[in-house]
Amino acid sequence: MSVPGTNISVIKIRDILMVTMPPDPDDSTVAALQENVLTAMERYSAKGLILDLSSVETLDSFFARTVSETAQMVALMGGRTIIVGMQPAVAVTATQMGLTLSRIETALNVDRALDLYSGGVSPRIGGR
Amino acid sequence: MSDSIKTHTAGQVEIKAEGDIVAARRAVREAATQLGFGQTDVARIVTAASELARNVYRYAGEGVMHWRSVEQDARVAIELQFVDRGPGIVDVDLALKEGYSTGGGLGMGLPGAKRLADEMDIESAAGLGTTVTIKKWRRK
Repeated sequence: MSVPGTNISVIKIRDILMVTMPPDPDDSTVAALQENVLTAMERYSAKGLILDLSSVETLDSFFARTVSETAQMVALMGGRTIIVGMQPAVAVTATQMGLTLSRIETALNVDRALDLYSGGVSPRIGGR
Repeated sequence: MSDSIKTHTAGQVEIKAEGDIVAARRAVREAATQLGFGQTDVARIVTAASELARNVYRYAGEGVMHWRSVEQDARVAIELQFVDRGPGIVDVDLALKEGYSTGGGLGMGLPGAKRLADEMDIESAAGLGTTVTIKKWRRK
């Protein structure tokens, strides 16, 4: 079984944090995401976070809530969160469940997200 | 014999620790994939299983998930049954209301699972436990 914190690596690219979620994280791994990201935000004075969900196969309400909360916390610290790479089946399921991930920016992939950070392209805001 | 109900494959996952939610998801993913469900329906049924397994762990502490395949009138379904001997649900209608939670959750688990499944049945008695059964039919 995974130990909290070991499955989530936060990578710093210039002044942006990159996190890639594993395919099937347990609740402690999801909770570790929040803690590791906030710690790294402070340590690196980061401008924001790119959260790569391209490997994620199951996004349930606990996971979605943690992502939403993390984005809100990052915003309070002056940062921006962009979610990238959600699989079609996961997007369909989340929408049908009513998980809106409201007010979180999204992008198709990491390249597009980096474009958003460098400015020029207007962001997409997910949800209502 | 066209309306006979046959059970092909079945299994169960005990839910005793938080990590067993992942074990339940994996078992359902494997079973649904083998039964020929499409990618999106696999995601739906696995996500529903995740919500219901978490409910068992969070509210009852422990329980078990039974899964089986069902064939009826040449149609195939996967059926998941979550059984616990926890405190039970006092008001099932209220528990199915979005945003209602007694466990500090989002109140999305039960109503979310209902939306993702084709059928849902809840049997619960205060103090005796809860059995939630969901079914998802494979699309032709």
